[in-house]
Amino acid sequence: MKSRNGLLTFVGQRWAVLFLCLELVIFSIFGQGFLSLNGIQIVLFYGTSLFLLATAETFVIVTGGIDLSVGFIMGFSAVISAKLVTAMVTAGLAPSTAIILAIIATLAIGMLPGLLSGFLVGRLRVTAFLATFATGGIVYGISLLLSGGGETKGVPDLANVIGNSYLLYWAPGKSLSFFTRPEVARGTRVIEMIPSMLVITAVVVIVAAFVLNRTRFGRHTYAIGGNEDAAVRAGINIRRHYLVIYSLSALFSSLAGIIYMLEYITGKPDAGTSFLLDSIVGVVIGGASLYGGAGTVWGTILGCLILSVLETGLRMAGVPTFDKFIAVGLILILAVLIDQFFPELIHKED
Amino acid sequence: MADHALTRERRSTALAVFGRNWALFFLLLMIIIFFFTGKNFFTVSNIQTIIYSATTSLLLAFAETFVIISKGIDLSVGYVMGLSTIVCAGVIRDLYAVQFGVHWPAGVAIALGIVAGLVASLACGLASGLLVSRFRVPPFIATLGVLGVAYGVTLHGSDGGFPIAFLPNILTQIGNGYVYYYNPALHAYSFFSPPLGTTGAQIKDMIRLFPNTLIVTLIFLVVLWHLLKNTRFGQHTYAIGGNLDAAVRAGIDTRRHLMQVYVLSSLLSGIAGIIWVFQTGQGNFVPMGSNLELFAIAAVIIGGASLNGGKGRIMSTLVGVFIIAVMANGLTLSGVQTFYRFIVTGVILIVAIVVDQLFPDLL
Repeated sequence: MKSRNGLLTFVGQRWAVLFLCLELVIFSIFGQGFLSLNGIQIVLFYGTSLFLLATAETFVIVTGGIDLSVGFIMGFSAVISAKLVTAMVTAGLAPSTAIILAIIATLAIGMLPGLLSGFLVGRLRVTAFLATFATGGIVYGISLLLSGGGETKGVPDLANVIGNSYLLYWAPGKSLSFFTRPEVARGTRVIEMIPSMLVITAVVVIVAAFVLNRTRFGRHTYAIGGNEDAAVRAGINIRRHYLVIYSLSALFSSLAGIIYMLEYITGKPDAGTSFLLDSIVGVVIGGASLYGGAGTVWGTILGCLILSVLETGLRMAGVPTFDKFIAVGLILILAVLIDQFFPELIHKED
Repeated sequence: MADHALTRERRSTALAVFGRNWALFFLLLMIIIFFFTGKNFFTVSNIQTIIYSATTSLLLAFAETFVIISKGIDLSVGYVMGLSTIVCAGVIRDLYAVQFGVHWPAGVAIALGIVAGLVASLACGLASGLLVSRFRVPPFIATLGVLGVAYGVTLHGSDGGFPIAFLPNILTQIGNGYVYYYNPALHAYSFFSPPLGTTGAQIKDMIRLFPNTLIVTLIFLVVLWHLLKNTRFGQHTYAIGGNLDAAVRAGIDTRRHLMQVYVLSSLLSGIAGIIWVFQTGQGNFVPMGSNLELFAIAAVIIGGASLNGGKGRIMSTLVGVFIIAVMANGLTLSGVQTFYRFIVTGVILIVAIVVDQLFPDLL
């Protein structure tokens, strides 16, 4: 009896990791070229936007809120950055200067919707769901307006060079170089390792995990999510905290939009729409509670990996991609049911 | 002194009346503005167009009203509508179209298609109802899961989002028909179809009144208004949304009731999908970006319901839906790009919730 319980507890506490392993095994068998350097990089490459949006969502969900605007802000930033780069290049700036200036400007502009949501939630006590939904609607409308509903073309090719570069290029036995493709004869096999955009994402995620886990800001975030009244009485300035949390969420989402622009050298309002569902599901699978006060960045990353492996694996196994939505829905329900039925299994310490 | 108090009281009553019905005043104001700025806005045919195109949004918003009053949220309404559309149209096509070999009479095919659409939406409602009421899953997550599954099945049924065609013409004749037709050239009138002998050239000048969908809308409006306002079901919905614990102690079977609320919500969304088949004459999949559920929720909240539960009315939702519908139509006729729809809806929504937050005693 005891040992059976022990096994159940073991599985219950680590079901997400075990599920990911199960997925990896299944897709390695059925997926064409899944188990290769390239396959793994495709998983991670698809994951970059998702990691950023879900990290943003983690901060908000830990406070007990929800951010429905992340996908729209991503599309918004993709459009804004593409427009700015194009405009500056047309105005005669060098592509490199234009891209750097556009990135800085977009990050600043991209934070504005977050400030609005944070103001609505913190100051006017509007439900997070509605505040971010309204902000998202406004932002989506503006990006449709700016882009005319289509794609923003005319981004210089340099963006492509940056967005789709790799950290390491290795031509076996010949040369090894960082960030730029080595000058080798045409037809030579060059192994590309670690997309640059993944490096940026990883840095941001590690910083975010550190902030949430190790700093006073992070502890306050958990405190507010656990019990807002108690947090107020403990002297936390919750108005300012909400403002920062939602701005941070918008900032991460903008970064995802900028990365989209660099990778696809275009900006479109719908760039992030399909990631909204996935980002929330990733956070919930990762063990966060929608009631606030629980959740970690690493848990979220694990949840996102499950989704990203699923997406890529299904495609490589030749299953129509739209079956992904069914699978994501079922996994979400499964995750919540496990959480509901075996709370003592999972939250051992509480 | 007494006079002074009286004036103050009167003023506060006026303010209260305005505050309680600000959405209605806003709707009237918008109609007045568009009357001046919009070309052909205030014409019989345009008003009928607004009503016609608001039919499905109305049903989705009504569905959402019940759920929101019970302190829940249903994110799946738009996708259940899409699923029902595809299932209904798919069954009709497979039974009717010659290419598929069966070729049953249109009436039988349509009847079976409607049943199939209803069954599909019922399944969604049972799933989210079961998760919310029995397993205590937060409604947001439960319906998000159902959304994912419904969306996947929809894409599957439509081969990745292609419209389902080869449906009988009778569908659009019903869905886009009018109750009353008058042909000025022949001085003839008829019901449900144009008068006999109407030529193609005369169709343009023909007077059409009362779209068939208006009748459907009115029936649902009256039935759901009665259900929410005058029946025990409605009272229990408010009670559960107002205070779940108190409702349990008052002896309400909250599990069964929540189940019914989510099933009702999904069924209404499914009916919206079936009406959509009748209006478009094909199984047109509702794309992800159209955010139907968000507009439905916005309409309910603009109408004055609260996400904290226990508050909301069918008639207020009606006003909320028409604020969005009139705005979309009026902006188009005023020559403004339709993209503003999202922006303006967002702004009105913010105004609605801020008014609700700042003056709770007013409303």
